[in-house]
Amino acid sequence: MTVLHSRWVTTTGHVAGIALLFVAAGMSLGAVIELFDGTEAPAMLVAAAVTAVAGAGLRYATRPGTIDRATVFTAVAGTWLVVSAVGSLPYLLAGTFSRSGVGPLIVLADALFESVSGYTATGSTVFGSHNLITDQGAGILMYRQFTQWIGGMGIVLLVVTVLPSLRASGLGLISAEAPGTGGDRLAPRMADTARHFWYLYAGLTALIAVALLAAGMTPYDAVAHAFTTASTGGFSTHDASIGYWDSVAVEMVVMIGLVLGALSFTLHGRALATRRLVHRKDAEFRGYIGVLTCATLLVTLMLATGGGMGPARALRMAAFNVITLGTSGGFGNATGPGSDGDFAAWAAGPQFLLLLLLVSGGCTGSTSGGVKIMRLIVGVSHARRTLRGIRRPRAVLPVRHGSGTISDSIVERIAGFMVVYGMLVVTGTVVVTALGTDLVTAISGVIGCLGNMGPVLNRAGPTASFVDGFSTPARTVLAVLMLVGRLELFPMLLMAVAPYRSVRRSLRHRSG
Amino acid sequence: MTRGTFTGLLASSTARRPWASWTAATAWGASAGLSAAAGLSIAAGLADLVGSGGDAALLVATGVVMGLLGVALFTRVGRPDRVRAADVLAATTFALATLVVLVAVLYLLTGATRRVDDALFEAASGVTTTAFSVIDPAGLGYGLLFLRAGSQWVGGFAALVLGIAVLPFCGFAQEFTDRSRFGGSRPLAPTQRVAIRNIALLYVPVSLTVWIAYALVGVGPFDGLLLAMSTVSTGGFTGAGGTFDDPAVQWVAIVAMLLAGTSLVVLWRLAVGRARGLLGSTDLQVYLGMHVVAVVLLLAWSGASGLAGVRRALFTVASSISTTGFALDSLDGWATATPVLLLPLMAPTDTSGSASGGFQILRHRALLKLALREMVRQLHPRAVVRIRMSGRITDEDTLRQIVVLQFLFVAVVFGTGFVVAALGLDLATAISAGVHATATAGPVRALDGTVIEVTSWSRPIRMALVPAMLFGRLSIYPAVLAVAGLATVIRNRVRLGRRLRAARHRGVE
Repeated sequence: MTVLHSRWVTTTGHVAGIALLFVAAGMSLGAVIELFDGTEAPAMLVAAAVTAVAGAGLRYATRPGTIDRATVFTAVAGTWLVVSAVGSLPYLLAGTFSRSGVGPLIVLADALFESVSGYTATGSTVFGSHNLITDQGAGILMYRQFTQWIGGMGIVLLVVTVLPSLRASGLGLISAEAPGTGGDRLAPRMADTARHFWYLYAGLTALIAVALLAAGMTPYDAVAHAFTTASTGGFSTHDASIGYWDSVAVEMVVMIGLVLGALSFTLHGRALATRRLVHRKDAEFRGYIGVLTCATLLVTLMLATGGGMGPARALRMAAFNVITLGTSGGFGNATGPGSDGDFAAWAAGPQFLLLLLLVSGGCTGSTSGGVKIMRLIVGVSHARRTLRGIRRPRAVLPVRHGSGTISDSIVERIAGFMVVYGMLVVTGTVVVTALGTDLVTAISGVIGCLGNMGPVLNRAGPTASFVDGFSTPARTVLAVLMLVGRLELFPMLLMAVAPYRSVRRSLRHRSG
Repeated sequence: MTRGTFTGLLASSTARRPWASWTAATAWGASAGLSAAAGLSIAAGLADLVGSGGDAALLVATGVVMGLLGVALFTRVGRPDRVRAADVLAATTFALATLVVLVAVLYLLTGATRRVDDALFEAASGVTTTAFSVIDPAGLGYGLLFLRAGSQWVGGFAALVLGIAVLPFCGFAQEFTDRSRFGGSRPLAPTQRVAIRNIALLYVPVSLTVWIAYALVGVGPFDGLLLAMSTVSTGGFTGAGGTFDDPAVQWVAIVAMLLAGTSLVVLWRLAVGRARGLLGSTDLQVYLGMHVVAVVLLLAWSGASGLAGVRRALFTVASSISTTGFALDSLDGWATATPVLLLPLMAPTDTSGSASGGFQILRHRALLKLALREMVRQLHPRAVVRIRMSGRITDEDTLRQIVVLQFLFVAVVFGTGFVVAALGLDLATAISAGVHATATAGPVRALDGTVIEVTSWSRPIRMALVPAMLFGRLSIYPAVLAVAGLATVIRNRVRLGRRLRAARHRGVE
């Protein structure tokens, strides 16, 4: 058996093939819109056709079998890599990032960055004053919004929903893609749970679209922003993002939509099934709302006392930006550089608080990124248990989460996650600064990309582009971190294990 | 006679009704702080006699009063039946806090500064070996200069005692200490008492050697003494400007900082002839390797070259890694990444059992192995994977403590950073200040490499850094336990809820 016939190759090819078919559907949607309002329809159609052919080829040329954990990681990480790479085709064919004085490698890097940022629902962008969003066609922009929607809930989750042959391995695949959702089933079968998640997600998106329409957006903008609100992605069809409308109603809808997207979809499902607000009994939900409320009040206080804003204006700016970063949304309500909503121009105090929110992220089982509130709660509980244990060495003290207790094995897993996360942040910051970025932009960029947040502080704020803040190599590092963060670190870090084993086996076989 | 007096005092203390563990430990901590301050004050008074002697009488008299108070407090304590480990750790916090307050009192009494906050900041910076300074040393007499450097020397000694003779005996990182008598070897810390003796046996001669080395390269005897005390304790206070202009002085400082950042276990093994296998120590290899890598990066990211460039880069790196805080002017063409490189260097890369602050190599190795184990468990969820450090299986409780320590370390850094940012510091400086204060690592550099004077920061910002310095110097846990213990005592004393209910009950009646 050659390496090409290994299980990791066939499984990755199979999952990636189906994922590409969905990507092609998104490109087709963009092409149709571009036919009516734009000039890039041929490029979009070619991209969609190439993607569909590649997807179908992979789908029918490969056949998945029973897979082990290493293969699961390779399949999931490989799928995300393939989707992100192929997803950049429309930008490349349409010449979206081509501009005078810029070489093809940089154009390729920019297209890949935008694609990765889209599919990982990060929201960081390389569009900016040098290359305006509003200069692009409606179809290509809708495709860009769609990338966040499809990536927000999870590409592999979507694949498991439609693919009966993967059902046996579905739990492993879904757990690898989003650890929070794997354990919380809404139905006995994993494929049904995945389907439930997608129904909820689609329903929430439709609800947000209707609300945005009612708040004053055009149907096109409402649908486009509903895609990126439910997915807590943050891409917009306007350069000023939500600041383009400068409307309290629009901001309110976006804030509510982002918070709903950042809450556990399992809780949403249970609430719908039982017709009760089961959220309030959940410790993570209470902790999350508490964090957002406290952060909003603190930032409001600091903006009102030192930021030169009135209390109402300060509350509006604080609430929107706290929620947009606390949910890993990444929208902006700044009407221009240095305006009230431009948090990169705020005083250092509120910015530091926003930096902490970049770390925390949303709830497990949601579309948001970051470390997740549940891990932080368990971390605090674990610290309290350890400190109490020093005072009472013989006491048997559990780690509590809400009314329940958490087993030591889960605490160890969370501790391991936090350690790896910390190491990635420190290493990433040193590497990005070595590539020519200042400390604040680098550290916030690394944390932001690892948490799939969107705009960050200082030179890559809500009114700036990542091109302004980071060099091309630094942006490439950040794109890798987005993928690592989207898959909650381990799948991407361990994706080489299965190929390595396979190659080693093959070599042994030959020498034997 | 002295022994007889102390035996009598001890006997009178044991004859009293036993105090509660928490109260006795607190009183002992305060007594230890008073005694240390008394010794420091008297020594500073005697040193002042070398110069004008203007403050000598005041310093000696204050020292005597503090000493008497310390002894009196010590004799008042009724020895409890059992002292809990948590209370011992809290007591070390109170000892250090008392020392800080008393050194601040000495600064105020001698007129080194007239402001309470400045005195407290300088004292905290000295005792915690941080080297943030708000007092201009050029205007100080010999006594105060000695007090300033001496507070660092005492702080460095206290850090060693805490790390080697207190924490491992209170259930922290026991695996990592040199306690085994296996094979007839002489360990550094077989018991607490012997550990303290051995620490003193190393600390004092090393300080004297560094003093002599400074004198040999042309530093004056008194200035050399001050510099030696600051170097060996990884403190970083210097006298007037231009101390390190001479390359020979820089080389002495480099060697001394390398020694100060090295684990005392290594120095002890060298001293007692157990050097075999020492170079195989992973900690030592990482420690030296980090110096090499950082120097290479520093040279690559700046325009410096030649032997002078290497020396200056090595000086900067050794100062950061040992958390000493001696600062040269920035190297030519200082790249943006350089101060960012120095930040993580000062947090993790000193060795355990040294006078340096920071998170220490050993703990980072443990965390790295923990991360690798987690990756293995991702692939094999049911695998039982043990972590080995120095050839021995590490206890899971120790690993948990290290993880929590990292969590608390990061929380203190970010908490301090947020407070100083809210008080007006810019974001980059706030992050740097948080790291420097918690790692007790001395002056903060701007992104262009220039040293930022702490006097340019507002008073609230400086005061906000004091708790971080104390937490960092105490390796976090003792300080957290002291704060938690104090909160419990206050809560139990005040009993606000019960009083409110009683008042409400009386109102109803």
